[in-house]
Amino acid sequence: MTQSTDINTKKQKLVAIVNSTAPFSSTNGRDALDLALIFGSYEQATSLFFQGDGVWQLTDKQDATLINSKDYLKTFAALEFYDIENIYACQHALTERGLIDSPFIINNVCVLTQQAFSDKLHLHHAIFRF
Amino acid sequence: MHSLAVIVTTPPSSNLTATALHFIESALAQGINVVGVFFYQTGVLNANDYVAIASDEFQVIEKWRLLHAKYQLPLHLCYTAAQKNGLSEEKETNNIACYFTVSGLGELVELTSAADRVIQL
Repeated sequence: MTQSTDINTKKQKLVAIVNSTAPFSSTNGRDALDLALIFGSYEQATSLFFQGDGVWQLTDKQDATLINSKDYLKTFAALEFYDIENIYACQHALTERGLIDSPFIINNVCVLTQQAFSDKLHLHHAIFRF
Repeated sequence: MHSLAVIVTTPPSSNLTATALHFIESALAQGINVVGVFFYQTGVLNANDYVAIASDEFQVIEKWRLLHAKYQLPLHLCYTAAQKNGLSEEKETNNIACYFTVSGLGELVELTSAADRVIQL
């Protein structure tokens, strides 16, 4: 961690973590969340994006234990303690999947049109996609 | 001089890994400062000493070794991901190639901060 002082003095990058896959068929969602929490713990400005099948991760009341998976989705509740408050979902992806009126597992999700979603993503300096 | 960090999230069998390798090679050849490569998810399998690739196929594992030897390029491994994928650095069962550095996700945060650009393939 010899560079940790550099991190705080150097101009901060805005980090975007994009979720584009469904929650339990791969470890992408978990790995993305782990990464988000690490960036948060280093006090880096981090936003979460959900697009395509990634929006399934936001669906409330999923019981992962029924399919022998770890319920990592409940860890989304920890995001606010890491100051990760910018969470965006693609309206088009939600509509396509009939999820536009479904409750989210976290309550501070900002639903954006495709254009606004894209514009927001472009404001970030480093993009990680899972 | 521009600086670059690369994150590899695909296994040796994936074409994306070969693309990442070519991308890094080109960057280094052009004098771009590659501050490090970080291996996450199944990308960590690139560090597995036991992976054998048929002799008539692209030798991606050997390429990482050569790249490290030629440019002293830091190759960082997420150890949590490594453990999940059957890699071990225990003395008797060590199967992590010696030119990889066992790190954690914090190293990826450091690399992201240090580099002008971060590329994930």
